[in-house]
Amino acid sequence: MIAAALTLLLALPPLVWVAAMFDRIGTGRGAVLIGPLQNGAALLLRPNTATEAPDRLNRLLAPGWYLALALVGLSVVPLAPGVVASDISTGLVLWGACEALTVVVVFLHGWSPNAPLPLIGAYRYVAIGLPAMLLSMFVLIGAALPAQSLSVVEVVEAQREIWNVIRQPLGLPLFMALGLAITLRGPFDYADGAELAGGTSAEESGPALALWHFARAAMLVAFSAMAATAFLGGHLGPVLPGPVWLLLKTLVLMALSVAAGRFFARMPPARMLTFLWVVLLPLSFASLALVGVEVLP
Amino acid sequence: MTDALFLALSTLAIWSGWRVFRVDSMVRASFQLMVSFIAVGLIAVLLAAPYIGIATIFMMAVEMMVMALFMVMFMMNPAGLNPMVMVHQHRFSIAAGVVAFSGLSAAVLLSDLPVQRVPEGADVVRDLGHELLGPSMLIFETAGVTLLATMIGAVVLSAHSGRYGASDAGSLPPGLTPGGEPAGRKPDESAGHHHHHGGH
Repeated sequence: MIAAALTLLLALPPLVWVAAMFDRIGTGRGAVLIGPLQNGAALLLRPNTATEAPDRLNRLLAPGWYLALALVGLSVVPLAPGVVASDISTGLVLWGACEALTVVVVFLHGWSPNAPLPLIGAYRYVAIGLPAMLLSMFVLIGAALPAQSLSVVEVVEAQREIWNVIRQPLGLPLFMALGLAITLRGPFDYADGAELAGGTSAEESGPALALWHFARAAMLVAFSAMAATAFLGGHLGPVLPGPVWLLLKTLVLMALSVAAGRFFARMPPARMLTFLWVVLLPLSFASLALVGVEVLP
Repeated sequence: MTDALFLALSTLAIWSGWRVFRVDSMVRASFQLMVSFIAVGLIAVLLAAPYIGIATIFMMAVEMMVMALFMVMFMMNPAGLNPMVMVHQHRFSIAAGVVAFSGLSAAVLLSDLPVQRVPEGADVVRDLGHELLGPSMLIFETAGVTLLATMIGAVVLSAHSGRYGASDAGSLPPGLTPGGEPAGRKPDESAGHHHHHGGH
């Protein structure tokens, strides 16, 4: 348990670096390999900005909470048979709680500076983030059904014969929508969009902004590891050892998420809201119903 | 260790519950309440009820977020950062508070609470599932549907009086010039994209 937690803590910074590299490939934003480090170092040397009458406590803590939620979410992912940082019987529910609290933290990040653009980003994000989180829960219940357990370890074990991505093909694409939402990315980036000059981060600079970007990339790592575990069999795989399989699958899903964020266009918030409630949410019900029929004895 | 955690968490729950009524903004009040419930959820985890505890945290994060959103939406304080008094009906609430506190204290002190420990390795989550979808199913489904109907009713009732008059009468903002076209966003026309001609 302690070994697994230490492994996660050591593996996270390099994976965050890789996530930042994925984000730079093909965007023409400077060197891919050392660009993220240069950018981070430059941000650390800049001063934080001040706004008028902010909520100081929440403004200070929001990036830290975001990172903490990514870490707690990551902690339920089993790295190998019997190696998991938080071995609880309700791991999927804990992951769900991290999703829900992420929406709260992003809202607080935009609300606390007491400035118009961050606040608009925060409100838009809540409207889109809540239904996105809701549909992910139905999809995750679908992943839990064949295992007959809410424990992530059992969910992996139940995929020994066949991965969930084949048994329930709608699950992974729908879960990816949640991934884009909680990592503030592409079609679901209503929080930190460029048209709001950075949205919830519009008033941020210096170390606070550096930590926010770090946490956002850490959330991408956590989400990809969770998606790999729930739908791609996690650490299961032939020849190579378990953690290597998990790492490979996580990297593939990180790349897929970044690509999906670039590929899909962003809709106006009102249309996206309709799309989420009228198309994606019923699709997740349908997916869950199909899984239910499938596992009936 | 467990006792120390229990004391810390219950202190946090009571302190943040008290802060709900002392802070000056609806967003702060909502999230103080969320912190209070998170502490209660963690106490449930300590009590060997991992599903109920973590599900409480999950539900309260969503509920308090929705509550903050709706309160700011329906009230006059746009961002929830401007200071405002969060309490009203002082005498009634003091009386209600005293009655509720003494009632709950009496219930705790006078009732015969079970003391048996949860056996090591008991399948608590599975037992809870069988209970919820077995003998208690009617109660939970009735409560759920009642709550949903209440929420929809509350929104319908409170949304009726729009900012510029009753919502079923159009609730149109005044024009930018006297007698001019209503200001603000025009609702989408269902048929075609021809020009908008004033009111409905």
